[in-house]
Amino acid sequence: MSKNENTLKRHMGLKAANRISNFFVYLLLIVISVVWLIPFIFIVLQSFRVESTYQVGYVIPQQWGFDNYLKLWNSDFKVWYLNTFIIALASAVLITVIQLCMSYTLSRFRFKMRGPLMRFMLILGMFPGMLTMIILYRVLSDLGLTQANAVPGLILVGVASSGMGYYVSKGFFDTIPKSLDEAARVDGATRFQVLYKIILPLAKPIVIYTILTAFMGPWGDYVFARYVAFGTSSGYNVAVGMYSWLTNDQIARMYTTFCAGGVIVAIPVTILFLCLQKYYVEGVTGGAVKG
Amino acid sequence: MKKILALVMALAMMLMLVACGPAGNQESQPPQGGGEQTNAPQGGGEETQPPQGGADLSGTYDVTIWCPEAAVELTKTQVANFNSSNTMGITINATVEPVSEADAATNMITDVSAGGDLYFFAQDQLSRLIQAGAVMKLGQGAADYVKNNCVASSLVAAKSGDDFYAYPLTADNGYFMYYDKSVIPEEHVDSFEDIIADCEAANKQFSYELENAWYNAGVFFATGCHSDWKTDDDGNFKGIDDDFNSDKGLIAAKAIYKLVSSPIYVNSSNADFASGSAVVVTGVWNYATIKSQLGDNFGVADLPSFTVDGQSYHLYSYAGCKLLGVKPQSDAVKGAVLNQLAQYLTGKDCSLQRALDPVEGKTPDGNPENGGLGWGPANTEARNDPAGTNPALAALEEQNKYSISQPNIHGSWWDIAKVITTDIKASDGSDEALKAALEKYEESIKAVFDVTDEIRNAFTVIGKVNGSDWDVDFEMTNDGDIWTSKDAFEMEAGTELKCRQGKSWDVAYPAENYVVETAGTYYVQLNAATGEITLVPAE
Amino acid sequence: MKQYSDLEFLRLSKWQRFTYKIAAFFCGIPKAIASLFWTVVNLIKTGCKKVADEFMDIVTTFTKGDWKTKVSFVVMGFGNIARGQILRGLLFLAFEAVFIVYMFAGGGYWLSMLGTLGIQGPTQDYDPLLDAYTTHYHDNSFKILLYGVLTIFFIIAFIYTWRTNVKQNKLSEQIIRSGKKLKSGKDDLRSLVDDQFHKTLLALPLTGILVFTVMPIVFMILVAFTNYDGAHNGYSNNLFTWVGLDNFNTLLSWQGGNGGGQSYSATFGEILTWTLIWAFLATFTNYFLGMFVAMMINKKGIKLKKLWRTILVLTVAIPQFISLLYVSKMFARNGLINLALMDLGWISQPLPFWEDPTWARVSVIAINIWIGIPYLMLITTGILMNIPADLYESARIDGANGWQQYTKITLPYMLFITGPYLLTSFTGNMNNFNVIYLLTGGAPTNPAASGAAGSVGYTDLLITWLFKITTGAESQYYLASVVGIMVFVVVAVISLVVYNVLPSIKNEEDYQ
Repeated sequence: MSKNENTLKRHMGLKAANRISNFFVYLLLIVISVVWLIPFIFIVLQSFRVESTYQVGYVIPQQWGFDNYLKLWNSDFKVWYLNTFIIALASAVLITVIQLCMSYTLSRFRFKMRGPLMRFMLILGMFPGMLTMIILYRVLSDLGLTQANAVPGLILVGVASSGMGYYVSKGFFDTIPKSLDEAARVDGATRFQVLYKIILPLAKPIVIYTILTAFMGPWGDYVFARYVAFGTSSGYNVAVGMYSWLTNDQIARMYTTFCAGGVIVAIPVTILFLCLQKYYVEGVTGGAVKG
Repeated sequence: MKKILALVMALAMMLMLVACGPAGNQESQPPQGGGEQTNAPQGGGEETQPPQGGADLSGTYDVTIWCPEAAVELTKTQVANFNSSNTMGITINATVEPVSEADAATNMITDVSAGGDLYFFAQDQLSRLIQAGAVMKLGQGAADYVKNNCVASSLVAAKSGDDFYAYPLTADNGYFMYYDKSVIPEEHVDSFEDIIADCEAANKQFSYELENAWYNAGVFFATGCHSDWKTDDDGNFKGIDDDFNSDKGLIAAKAIYKLVSSPIYVNSSNADFASGSAVVVTGVWNYATIKSQLGDNFGVADLPSFTVDGQSYHLYSYAGCKLLGVKPQSDAVKGAVLNQLAQYLTGKDCSLQRALDPVEGKTPDGNPENGGLGWGPANTEARNDPAGTNPALAALEEQNKYSISQPNIHGSWWDIAKVITTDIKASDGSDEALKAALEKYEESIKAVFDVTDEIRNAFTVIGKVNGSDWDVDFEMTNDGDIWTSKDAFEMEAGTELKCRQGKSWDVAYPAENYVVETAGTYYVQLNAATGEITLVPAE
Repeated sequence: MKQYSDLEFLRLSKWQRFTYKIAAFFCGIPKAIASLFWTVVNLIKTGCKKVADEFMDIVTTFTKGDWKTKVSFVVMGFGNIARGQILRGLLFLAFEAVFIVYMFAGGGYWLSMLGTLGIQGPTQDYDPLLDAYTTHYHDNSFKILLYGVLTIFFIIAFIYTWRTNVKQNKLSEQIIRSGKKLKSGKDDLRSLVDDQFHKTLLALPLTGILVFTVMPIVFMILVAFTNYDGAHNGYSNNLFTWVGLDNFNTLLSWQGGNGGGQSYSATFGEILTWTLIWAFLATFTNYFLGMFVAMMINKKGIKLKKLWRTILVLTVAIPQFISLLYVSKMFARNGLINLALMDLGWISQPLPFWEDPTWARVSVIAINIWIGIPYLMLITTGILMNIPADLYESARIDGANGWQQYTKITLPYMLFITGPYLLTSFTGNMNNFNVIYLLTGGAPTNPAASGAAGSVGYTDLLITWLFKITTGAESQYYLASVVGIMVFVVVAVISLVVYNVLPSIKNEEDYQ
């Protein structure tokens, strides 16, 4: 009896303790959510502000309107947006193909140069990529892919060097049992058929993850994009174009326009991301950690 | 089978190589139209300076123009006007790109060949651009045009050594004071101390970007300090003559301390009135924004005077320019066309259009899209035109009486000189501490810019040598005290020359010009110990 | 240093083991260097022998081979074609043709100029008739270096292919002699999707990496040995040329030279210190806070798990240039936060988020947490759920409280799984250009460190400094290259140390 009572009490106590700790967890989560959301709510609200274009000390506009969006429409923003979208789309397709080739091979095949190749790429990755900008610019410039033609140039460079980022998807492929391949090989399938018919369907999460990250990358590409498209508005992407709006000589006129642009850029990417969030999580947990 | 892989890779690489091809072995084109060796004409005050001999410039030219975003539309209109109005048959097919004056030089230097043909830039970038070979030297006629049509203060900005490298576009890159009339009464605007007191009383800020050499140097100039730069014709810095670390400099340091030690000091030149400033020291570019922030309380004036030890000093500013640069061309005809266009764009009409008051909504052609920019013209006629002024420009004009024309300044100096204020701010304001800050500055300057003894002691040949007329120094090399010119010169009898040290006339031999007796090709040799010159015939 | 036996080692406390490991690593360095030396010597020895063998093989192939083989020495692929392997033969032949054409069309020029990086800089003329100066460009050091390097790559590829061609002839002869059939072009193609499938898959990615990553890095390393800068841009003003190790001397010497009264090495040291502090704090604040948030969301009884996650994940979804730039302006002196606080009357002066060195450093780390937590939360959520629940169950029965469970079970497990991730995250943060550049651009300026190499700020990392050097007033590309190489060295050393220390610690942890 007494023993039972004790357990009951302990049980009750635990429950109460749990409730209290849950309360604090909820409180903390709410605080965190507010902190995380605030900047995004602010940016949306400020994009509708009409009465002034510079930074002010309040958030809710005194006068609402679409002036800033109209201003966007009348600027080169359309071109930048289209450029970025093209780059993102092309990158999503091509980078995915390249990275999957790379990671699948390094995960599944055992050939003589595999070890040295992976070590070599690891070492390559330790060099700061920033410096190679100067020379990549020259190469692109000789190919005629700079300034007004920056879009194909940026796609080329982005895709060509994407093989280096194979770690995440290789980590994922490593988790698919090799016995599947072997069974299929015994049945007479070629390597290509194994990849196409057996592995790819299983690798759907990582394929979607790769597409998603490849698609999102170009939306934030600033430094190299500016280097390649310098001085030619028609070759800018959104980051390059909008960055200048926040420089000292323009911010007073363009701050709210930047907010509007930010909203327009963020909406499609965010929606896409949230829809595919599940795969993203599988990708990062399955691949990033084991890579 | 791995051979196939090797092949594919090699092929891909090679295709790229072939596509790029060698570009280094192209032949240089012979200079065009080099027949007449006459000097270019002395220009009059015409709108543009046509090249001599009525050279045919007609044709259609693709031209890329870089200008700040605000001026893009206006510049497009102006180019269209040039096409319809010029009598030389020139049609410009222009691409106008928004590139801010601050970025233009960096972008040009990134890749000169891909840069804009004409570009607006801030004058402090000129030496970088010359050094990078990114700006075309102006010919004799064009240089005369600039001399005859632009305000005096802008000329120094467009020059390096004795040569002009760019067209002055605006002469408004200076600073003065905007203030909030509700905080600073009209009678206080002349006194630095009164303004600080007013701000402190109202708990409003005083924005003065003293931690920036462009602003803090003005305080030193107010007390009579100077900081002069020497550049040669190639844009290289040859030295600095600077006395910030002096008794006069100490007075300036005290004035700086007065402000930076106050809680109301803000190191900024932005339009800060919305964030609690009552005074902002900045330039014409913030006029429209500040006007909209202050409304009826808008006030603008030249900088005030500060008082140290009973004596009053009016604060100085730099008077700087924006310039229009022309990219070096390998085709002389296109070069000439670009000169024509540059002269038109910096000419009276275009300057006036840019000058119109943006706040009043005045537009050059009635089209509200093409609002004036409020830029103060460098063109003399436009500057004197009453249509082209506004309150901010008027204040600038007033301040210009207390200003130093901004010369070409070495890029590193800005980073060094701005530290003076930081150090003063961190000090306790005692004379010793302020002096220490100035001494540190002088040491840093010396470490970077002092011309080495090697250069200071080197001798050069100067005179009517090699087609020059006492304006070019020819290098000499030495073996002990014996200096010999690097090149042999072909000289006629009666040619006069001298050898001088450190490119200055302080030490020059012989006292009277040396006169060549017999024509021939000689190396010039100097015995620095005796000052004797001998000619060594070249074989 | 005292050497422990295995048994002694196991008796040590965890901390002692850790320090022992680190000490052992550093004490092992001289030995490692010695062994590296011998490895290199042996490599050279075996290398020489291999080259000699290769030559012997080539000679015997030639002397013993039939006429088809002999012709193949000059006309690549001839042997293949003559023996019926048309496809292979044609590819060899085409490659040779292209190589020869290329070398005559330009490759020879680039190669011959590589020693000097060009002779003739630009020249200027004055046209008095048109009153215009004209500039004529001649050699271009940059292109000479670039295409010179490419040409060398190409020559190596050619030699390799030629050697392969010789080998194939020998092999074919052997196969024919033994009476077997040679592979047809069809067999070759089929094997590309089967036995040799990895070559097909890797061909394109590796070509891309070779041209757009390896070649630029080789070029970048070479630039460190030239005087390539704004005053010698190799094209429109002065050509640049080789200067040997001068640039390394400049960076590493303790004498002044940076102009701000401070030597480059002192500046480098200051920035490196902050870079390491930043990388450490950025990695571990994110790691622990991210784990904490993940645990909160995973806690039993917490509802709306998906909603919390989605809210946090927004910072991953929205492009950084928007979120970071916006936040940077929000905390600016005349930004929303300061203005709002002043309107409320809570402060009378703006808070110096980006103006004061300490404020700025704390601010970038805080905002980096905002950016980084969600990512870590996603990663750790998955791992946390994989921890066997019975571990916790038995711990609870043993009377362990929450904190003990965390330090004894959760943390070791997490560290075990995410060890490599932490390392990459650390080196990634060292090179975290975006966060610093978009938030502060390196500000506020560090006056003592600023000078000839441009303005240096208190929040500058090596990577942003490197960027500033190339875009600064003097555009010292050579110095940037040297700094780049230094960054590589630092990252490599850290990785090496951690790889040597970390796994051994992990292995000692006992989970079962």
